[in-house]
Amino acid sequence: MNLRRVLAVTQKEIREILRDRIYLALAFIMPGMLMIVFGYGMSQDIENIALAVLDEDGTALSRDYARHFTDSRYFTYVGHFRSQQEADRSLSNGRIKVVIVIPQHFAQRLMEGGASPVQFLVDGTFTTIARTVRSYLDATNLAFNAGLQSRFISARLGVPQSQAIAILQPVRIEMRYLYNQEARSLWAIAPSLMMFTLMLIVPLLTALSVVREKESGAILNVYASTISRGEFIAGKLLPAIGIACLNACVLWMIATLYFGAPFKGSLGLLALATLLFVICAAGCGLVVSFLVRTQQAAIIVATILSTLLAMQYSGIMTPVSSMTGATHAIARSFPPMYYQNVITGTFMKGVGFDVLWPDLLFLLGFAAFIVSVAHALFRKRVPA
Amino acid sequence: MNGAVWIRQVAALSMKELRQLWRDRGLFAFVVYVFTVNIILAAGGASYELNRVPVIVHDADRSKPARDLAYAFQPPYFTFLGEVADPAKALAMLDREEARVLVDIPQGFGERLHEGTQPATIQLLVDASHANSGYLAASYAASITSHFAAPWTQQTLIRAGIAPDQLPRADARIRLWHNPDLNEPWFHTVAELTTMMTVMCILLPAAALVREKERGTIEQLLVSPLSALQVLLSKVIAMEAVMLVGVAVAIFGIMQPIYGVPIRGSLPLLFALTAIYAFTNAGIGLAAASFARNSGQTGLLIMLIVMPIVTLSGTWTPLESMPAWLRSLMTISPLRHFVDIIYSILLRGAGLSVLWSPIIWMIGLGAIMFTIGVLRFRRQYR
Repeated sequence: MNLRRVLAVTQKEIREILRDRIYLALAFIMPGMLMIVFGYGMSQDIENIALAVLDEDGTALSRDYARHFTDSRYFTYVGHFRSQQEADRSLSNGRIKVVIVIPQHFAQRLMEGGASPVQFLVDGTFTTIARTVRSYLDATNLAFNAGLQSRFISARLGVPQSQAIAILQPVRIEMRYLYNQEARSLWAIAPSLMMFTLMLIVPLLTALSVVREKESGAILNVYASTISRGEFIAGKLLPAIGIACLNACVLWMIATLYFGAPFKGSLGLLALATLLFVICAAGCGLVVSFLVRTQQAAIIVATILSTLLAMQYSGIMTPVSSMTGATHAIARSFPPMYYQNVITGTFMKGVGFDVLWPDLLFLLGFAAFIVSVAHALFRKRVPA
Repeated sequence: MNGAVWIRQVAALSMKELRQLWRDRGLFAFVVYVFTVNIILAAGGASYELNRVPVIVHDADRSKPARDLAYAFQPPYFTFLGEVADPAKALAMLDREEARVLVDIPQGFGERLHEGTQPATIQLLVDASHANSGYLAASYAASITSHFAAPWTQQTLIRAGIAPDQLPRADARIRLWHNPDLNEPWFHTVAELTTMMTVMCILLPAAALVREKERGTIEQLLVSPLSALQVLLSKVIAMEAVMLVGVAVAIFGIMQPIYGVPIRGSLPLLFALTAIYAFTNAGIGLAAASFARNSGQTGLLIMLIVMPIVTLSGTWTPLESMPAWLRSLMTISPLRHFVDIIYSILLRGAGLSVLWSPIIWMIGLGAIMFTIGVLRFRRQYR
């Protein structure tokens, strides 16, 4: 490989990018903007769920029960209904997610002792949200019952309420959340967004680089020149890797300084993994560029490919451990999940090379693989 | 110019677009993939239920109750990996993600439980690096513990002369509407379909327009007796056709027969609104393309617009949970309204009477975007 020829291609690419001011601005401003918007939107705290109440009992106790839910930060009270039909109808357009139906004689049944049924209508359309909502409802209901029962026991047995609580909850749990002390998900998600944003952007930086020349015919000059296939590919990859690495630095600063994510591990290790990951992603874009014939196809394929890899197969929406079947297999054969492991490891756990080496090894292997695929796809011949 | 000719011209141009897509075999295959295989992959993709979260136990007590509690962590939600003698070793396992929950049972746990005068404490260390599943694991672990503890409470109560079922309790009966069994494919296939539709609807016409700009073929169109509106409309109509066929294939070929996704509302309404949605997105794409000079710019610009739309439309995180500024920003995302519409028609069985507000929003946004696209396009070329 002749370094001079590589640099010649690189220099030409860089000059092209520098002359296209809009592209240049987009390539540098966009990742940061996206990351900030994602950070606020995708932090997975599910809160302020729209909740309505149908209180057919209308007693002090039923109102107290409803208040346990409406005062919680997980729910937002949006109104009350007077009839079951109204409640049913409200769930049909998705604006209200939960309706509490407190039946008549609710308070009376509680006073008599034993179970007093309450109905919760939950919109199950968005399964992930519904599952979380269900656990919030259960927990809030338990909290109400604990208060009620401890008062009941302390009155019946004449013991202080603290002892009544000990009877009700013989085992107390001290919960500690590791790696993310307060389970505040903005912190937890900010580092992952580095992976997410890079995965979305970087393939686009290379996806057009070859197909553009194919469309304009400039590629014929390359075919006719003395440059080798490897030199051409290296020359095309370098500027994209450069832009991506600069962006990675900005994203890292947004994660730590703006979102306040803790960084406990080795910066060198993360930098190495980032470099490998960026090569993988840029390589994917380049492969797309060799495969398709038009720029139109290149943008579409690259955009959808990176969207899929970033959203569906990276573990950002669901941990890879909960994936099943083919999805699990796909996730395990692409780089995002491994880079994500390095990110979680260096940001939150502060673990080092001894734990993360398999991930780095995969990234290295994939980078080598994807570049050789690009190399194999590139023919210095005019297709017949 | 009379109307029939005008329409024939648009039709001819639309056919040209479709033919171009058909001839670009790579792109065509990809479009087919997106509406078929990709939907299947999305459906089988993930189970958000806790799935055999690995649990490790450090039992310093070694009493029978302690052992019982340790063995209560079983599938489907948890897998009991075993006990460790050394807590440091357990922490190392958490670091390597071999275990995600550590149950630490201190000495004297069994004794305190037998005495029953003060609560016996255990410590749960939960890997919260994935916040959501960490929270779920914690809450399931808590409920396992409370199940474990229930018989002890009952014994104490019976000894004190209170029948356990006499305790007053609100009995929460949670009924899930529209998807009672939380059938994941019902949610995921629709989410995937809307996501991919959005990306395609915005990208296809934008890329087609920029392509003509770059190659200079747009000059040919402009010297032809065609108006700017006709040129743009033809791109939109071609894309509309692809989208409607794609959605029909996805719904009738995959979602309904394989996963039993219900269609509870009106199909004509669904397809009419899908067409409007595609039109709205095409407007966004054309408006964006009118600002871009080449494909490189288009790709990045569209990514900047599309990604917030598809990730923040309320399917993954409810809009109510977002900060107010972002929530109001998302009002101008057509997907946010279309998500309400498509799920309401398919799963909630809703009709026009409850959906008029998102429909009006969508049409309004589409009209604005499309007008911007047409106006900018005209100004650039006249």
